[in-house]
Amino acid sequence: MTDASPERDAAADGGHEVAHDDHGHDFPGTGSIKRWFVTTNHKDVGILYIVTSLFFLVLGGVLAWLMRIQLLAPRGLGEGILAPVAYNQAVSAHGLLMVFWFLSPFAFGFANYVVPLQLGAKDLAFPRLNALSYWLYLFSGILFGVSFFQGGTFSGGWTMYAPLSVPTFTPDVGASTAVLALVLFVASVTVSSVNFLTTMHRMRAEGLTLRNVPLFSWTILLTAWMMLFAFAALLAALLVLSSDRLLGTTYFAMESPAGALLWTHLFWFFGHPEVYIVFFPALGVMAEVFQTFTGRRIVGRKWFILAMVLVAIQSFAVWMHHMFLTSINLQVKTLFMITTIGISLPFDLMVFALIYTMLKGKIRFTTPFLFVFGALLLFIIGGITGVFLGAVVLDYEFRGTYWVVAHFHYVMVGGVTALVGGLYYWFPKMTGRMYDEFLGKLHFAVYFVGFNLLYFPLFVAWETPRRVFDYAPELAPWHQLATVGGFVLGLSFLIMFYNLFKSAFVGDPAPDNPWEYATTAEWAVSSPPPLENFDGTPTYRNGHLEFLDAGEVAPGEDRSDGPTGAAVSDGGVTASATTAVTADAELPTAEAAEVEGPSHASIWPFVLSAGAFLVLLGLSPLQDAAFPEGMVGAAYATTTVAGGVVTLGSLVAMGLEPFHGPVFEEGEAWPFAGIDNGKVGMWIFLASDVVLFGGFLGAYVFTRVAFGWTGWEPIPSDPIPGLVNTYILLTSSFTVVLALVAAEKKHKWGLVTSLGATFVLGIGFLVNKGLEWQHLFHEGLWLSTNVRASTFFLTTGLHAAHVIAGLVIALYLTARAWRGAYLEDSRSVEYFGLYWHFVDIVWLFLFPLFYIL
Amino acid sequence: MVSTKLYTAIYVVLFVSATVQVLVEFAGLSYWLAFGVIMVLSAAKAVLVAAYFQHLRFEPRSLTYLVGIGLAAALALTLAASYSLL
Repeated sequence: MTDASPERDAAADGGHEVAHDDHGHDFPGTGSIKRWFVTTNHKDVGILYIVTSLFFLVLGGVLAWLMRIQLLAPRGLGEGILAPVAYNQAVSAHGLLMVFWFLSPFAFGFANYVVPLQLGAKDLAFPRLNALSYWLYLFSGILFGVSFFQGGTFSGGWTMYAPLSVPTFTPDVGASTAVLALVLFVASVTVSSVNFLTTMHRMRAEGLTLRNVPLFSWTILLTAWMMLFAFAALLAALLVLSSDRLLGTTYFAMESPAGALLWTHLFWFFGHPEVYIVFFPALGVMAEVFQTFTGRRIVGRKWFILAMVLVAIQSFAVWMHHMFLTSINLQVKTLFMITTIGISLPFDLMVFALIYTMLKGKIRFTTPFLFVFGALLLFIIGGITGVFLGAVVLDYEFRGTYWVVAHFHYVMVGGVTALVGGLYYWFPKMTGRMYDEFLGKLHFAVYFVGFNLLYFPLFVAWETPRRVFDYAPELAPWHQLATVGGFVLGLSFLIMFYNLFKSAFVGDPAPDNPWEYATTAEWAVSSPPPLENFDGTPTYRNGHLEFLDAGEVAPGEDRSDGPTGAAVSDGGVTASATTAVTADAELPTAEAAEVEGPSHASIWPFVLSAGAFLVLLGLSPLQDAAFPEGMVGAAYATTTVAGGVVTLGSLVAMGLEPFHGPVFEEGEAWPFAGIDNGKVGMWIFLASDVVLFGGFLGAYVFTRVAFGWTGWEPIPSDPIPGLVNTYILLTSSFTVVLALVAAEKKHKWGLVTSLGATFVLGIGFLVNKGLEWQHLFHEGLWLSTNVRASTFFLTTGLHAAHVIAGLVIALYLTARAWRGAYLEDSRSVEYFGLYWHFVDIVWLFLFPLFYIL
Repeated sequence: MVSTKLYTAIYVVLFVSATVQVLVEFAGLSYWLAFGVIMVLSAAKAVLVAAYFQHLRFEPRSLTYLVGIGLAAALALTLAASYSLL
């Protein structure tokens, strides 16, 4: 699916044939297959994301077609084209694929391509991690695909409600694989969030303060923040579920107190922000396209941004409206009804801002505008029908019906509509060629008719129960109408694929800025942009985009016929692309750039992701922490080990590889000015890890409250081994501090000794823990004994896994320090210390909670 | 930034307060009083490690807020979920 993409070849046509071979990195042109395996450039990665996500759109769409065919008439068991379990698999896989593997990655394809350009950055802060995000995403999708062939994929619905999600009810190996595929996907998302947040906060051009950042970038910024925290909670939920499936813990088992309710809390704490995570980028596209094709800066720009910030924060305080039919108490239901109605208010402001922008501007009905305008209408319908569901009493009636299905398809696929508009909008920038406008409009017409034909009848037939293929016979005509609509909507994409594929090769060449009144910075560079985006250093110091150039005379006279400064303000600032000729001292240091120019190629993100894929595939058939008997089990175990070797090896190779991120002059970096990118990235990652452990500890506290807090005895009868481990970890934290002190004093052997001591202490911690566990096993306690034992072993086990990861790094650092590293630049030791101290802090809470209280 | 002497002093304080936590458990206090004392001690140790070993005290305050946001999210989930059972 990543081969022969139209965009790629056209990019080659568009003068993208850069073959940088300096810095020892072989970087082939866009026409070469190899390029796409090694590239770390944000524009390449963006195109990879878009092409791959469209593949998953087709896959999820075909599954939807199968469902719609099944629903042509109410069916009994064994009737129609899908067997009952096959139908359940189609429903579940359709939801999971569309939400996770299509919607967000499609949006992040644009984010990858456009955001660094809009910020005035040459690339993301960590280009290799960006490539890693992509490859983890692709391999997680492949893993999900594999799950279909392991007895059947997950069939418990995209919400994966417990206890349906445990092996008692969904015993197929493929069901475990699907859960593990999601774990890998979350890893991709976390890496991506850290990268985008670091980039967007730290690498904005001079003068581009946050309030002046273009609206699409604003939505991506808020999306990345929500992703960082929401996906960490999902990771906690998925790791617990994986453990229940593979290791035999009993968090979600029928006999555990409030196990089913625990899943809904963990899942929807993620799940509601997820709604905005997939919708915000679409909102950003709407804002950009509205501004361009009305020729008007958005009305109330500041309030629009403020409303989005409010929604992003509030999104973490509405999750229980998905749980009105569970046993949660009435007070908390009422509270969450209020917050839910509250969160609709900022959206009203945004909708009115968009409408008023149209009224005040002069609309040009191009294809991108038609799509985003359609998206606005669809979103209004989706939003209003959602308010019904936010009311406790109405939800009692609507829950589990097609009202819900119709509502969230209007919202989610409404978002897709805007993103399709975004694809047309940025297609000329990405390929350097124009699409066919007539075919684009035709696509919109067919799409819009198909959409409403598909989803509107579902409101009318709302009494159909969700997730099953039997319904009252009198509703059949509506379902038949919907099925017809489903095919119209799906087939409309053929027009798009034909149009874009053909145009990528033979479309009219696109100028830098094909859209009059488009004012964001991506339109100020050529189509497609050069490898490193800008010729000079972009700056907004005078309120519009200029390029500080080391040369005497700036090129780019042709750009001045684009939008001109004050006439068309996008909002905060204008990218008027008048290339400034400057002769002051703030020129980019050309010498430095030549010595340490940015690298663009690394194969290790690909290899690392392949290794992680093998590890998880190998683990998929585990049950009660054991591989199946015989050859199959041995093959899976071998796969796990091989994958582990590949993963570790590529991590080391990545650490040793000389790779230089983009050279950048620090411009606007609020609120992280003066802090190194690496340190900011590490802290952002740790903040998400706080939520991961928060999810685990939350699950423990919740289960214990459900059980009866004081009736719950700690699993270890003796706190002393735990106390000893506390001493060990505290001491190892101290030795890491000493290591950093030694490195700063350039005291090589002090550094080696301290790091080595840390490593030894960490091993001591694990040995002590191992002995303690051994003792507990001999007492007859096992992970599956009861939920008390499950929480003890899994939570302290997750912590131990963090210790092991830290030890791998400590070993690597010790070996390199032995050879004289880190004396000039001790940052690696410092960042490792931040992680290690965090692991220490977690233990400071685990110890009392699991050993003495 | 900070002298090795201060780092050592902090290490000793952490070590001792971990011991105190276990002693509190055996001191025969009522369960919830002991719970409170022990959790406060844990929190105090965590703050010491973050402030000095992770030198947040000497960084721009934004990093502290960043961690605080993560902590707030975790606490919101834990407390609201637990409350929903009552």
